[in-house]
Amino acid sequence: MNRFLSKDFLSGLMFIAFGLGALYFGRNLAPGTTVRMGPGYVPHMLSYIMCILGFIIAVIAVVRGSDPVETPRLKPIVMVTLGILVFSLLFERTGMFPALVALILIASAGGEEFKLLEVIGNIIVLTILCILVFKIGLSMNITVLNGVW
Amino acid sequence: MDMLHNLFLGMTVAFSLQNLLYAFIGCMVGTLIGVLPGIGPVATIAMLLPITFHLPPTAALIMLAGIYYGAAYGGSTTSILVNLPGESSSVVTCIDGYQMARKGRAGAALSISALGSFFAGTVGTLIIVMFAEPLTRMAQKFGPSDYCSLMALGLVAAVVLASGSVLKAIAMVFLGLLFGLVGTDVNTGAQRFTFDIPELSDGIDFAPIAMGLFGIAEIVVNLERKMSRSGAIKVDSLWPTREETRRAIPAVLRGTALGALLGVLPGGGPTLAAFSSYTLEKKISKTPSQFGKGAVEGVAAPESANNAAAQTSFIPMLTLGIPSNAVMALMVGAMIIQGIQPGPEVMTKKPDLFWGMIVSMWIGNLMLVIINLPLIGMWVKLLTVPYRFLAPAILLFCCIGAYSLQNSTFHVEQVAMFGVLGYIFSRLGCEGAPFLLGLVLGPQMEEYFRRAMLLSRGDPSVFVTRPISLGLLITTAALLILMALPSLRKAREEAFQEEET
Repeated sequence: MNRFLSKDFLSGLMFIAFGLGALYFGRNLAPGTTVRMGPGYVPHMLSYIMCILGFIIAVIAVVRGSDPVETPRLKPIVMVTLGILVFSLLFERTGMFPALVALILIASAGGEEFKLLEVIGNIIVLTILCILVFKIGLSMNITVLNGVW
Repeated sequence: MDMLHNLFLGMTVAFSLQNLLYAFIGCMVGTLIGVLPGIGPVATIAMLLPITFHLPPTAALIMLAGIYYGAAYGGSTTSILVNLPGESSSVVTCIDGYQMARKGRAGAALSISALGSFFAGTVGTLIIVMFAEPLTRMAQKFGPSDYCSLMALGLVAAVVLASGSVLKAIAMVFLGLLFGLVGTDVNTGAQRFTFDIPELSDGIDFAPIAMGLFGIAEIVVNLERKMSRSGAIKVDSLWPTREETRRAIPAVLRGTALGALLGVLPGGGPTLAAFSSYTLEKKISKTPSQFGKGAVEGVAAPESANNAAAQTSFIPMLTLGIPSNAVMALMVGAMIIQGIQPGPEVMTKKPDLFWGMIVSMWIGNLMLVIINLPLIGMWVKLLTVPYRFLAPAILLFCCIGAYSLQNSTFHVEQVAMFGVLGYIFSRLGCEGAPFLLGLVLGPQMEEYFRRAMLLSRGDPSVFVTRPISLGLLITTAALLILMALPSLRKAREEAFQEEET
């Protein structure tokens, strides 16, 4: 296994990236002085600390080695994320029900087994549950289906 | 007299019909998720955070607290009956609990663990009542520099006691602090890291981050793994024999004491308490060979310890506003959503909420005994629900909950974004809990730091000249140095290795 593809080395890189990103996007924030700190003082301090820590973690990982990263299985994370995004697109445009159907279909497709009958059953149960909990129980202002209810 | 007066106030609040109802809902939901493997209290509380937004503060916190200790209860049921720990805090219960069940003593194991937990919960609640006032009075003497040092100590201690790489955990704390900065700077009004998104000017909302990092990431990791279920063991008589009772009682007492102590420590909590008390019982037992083969003590002690710790871990959060673990960080988040700044002021300014919540914990513990023992059959049936039904349900609740925070789909997108980030964290072996602690404490810590430096005219020596602050910083430094000692590092690694296997 390549020692640069280890958990710790990549974590180190991630921390450095966050540190540099914060420095870049916070470059216009004035640091001020220690007595009267500007909005940028603490962010800059934290960014430098992040970069230093990330660097140390990465160096230790290369020198000592660490656990290799398991090859991720992309299907679940992609499907779940996609499901949430589609839900957020549909929710205000069409109402809760279509968004819910889309989310459950997409998310269920991300799992190991996909049985259409089970998924339909799940949709029916969850629709009833959501209406009971959110619309009736907590009386939230949610449309179930735009223009209908 | 004051204590009785406070307890009485708490009772009037906790015994109101509404609060009893929410305590009951919390306990039911907590037991449910404790029984279901694959979803823990952190993910559940994160998922339900937006819902609490629509409830009155006291009811919301009572319900969340109920979920927390309910999960510690429910987790033991599955450990004993099917050898599957519902929660990390009941992993050790599997060892002897399942062996007892295989010997036909499942009922006895369940009642010992339920009654031991109830006793421990009662003691834990009493400890909160006794220590809340003196600690709060002490905290009120703290200046900005003292607070800053206290938070540093809390964060470092949480990191040292957590499992995994210390350096990575520290980096995660700083990353959390960095994310906590997003929004409008309180002192100057400048926009920081808001990328011209109006929703971000009040700061990143806590709930979507928690839901993404814990809820979504947990679902995805579970979907990647295949979950297997084994058949449950039938429960016969619930009554332990006289011999079993005789052996359980001292173990319950020891477990309660150790758990109560470890719960207060930053980074402590139910899981650490359960493991430590199991180790302790094994060390002092006259017949250590019986452990792993159905020793009563091996069920009684860790089960009492995890419940005692679940109660006492509220102490630093309620009195100082410092969360000691991820669940407490979420409780702080829930308070902030309700507009309550956690800290010593909660007790003086909102005594009804404070004491009502404490009394309700005891009521909740009583409810749990009633929910758990007679209804055991129902909980066991729930175990047969496959994960592929649960995952979409959890996702859906997260999405609608996130939307309902401010009726904006931006929050739903944030859940998706932090879900991806949480997945990356878990793949890289970076823990979410230190991140959450940093995120919750970040804004306050910056505020105290800037105030302390302003008061001292830019002289950083203020942190070492004030005795309280100096003491806290010395403790922090001592913890860090201890961590670097090779012998201690080895012991710590061994302690957590036992947890993983």
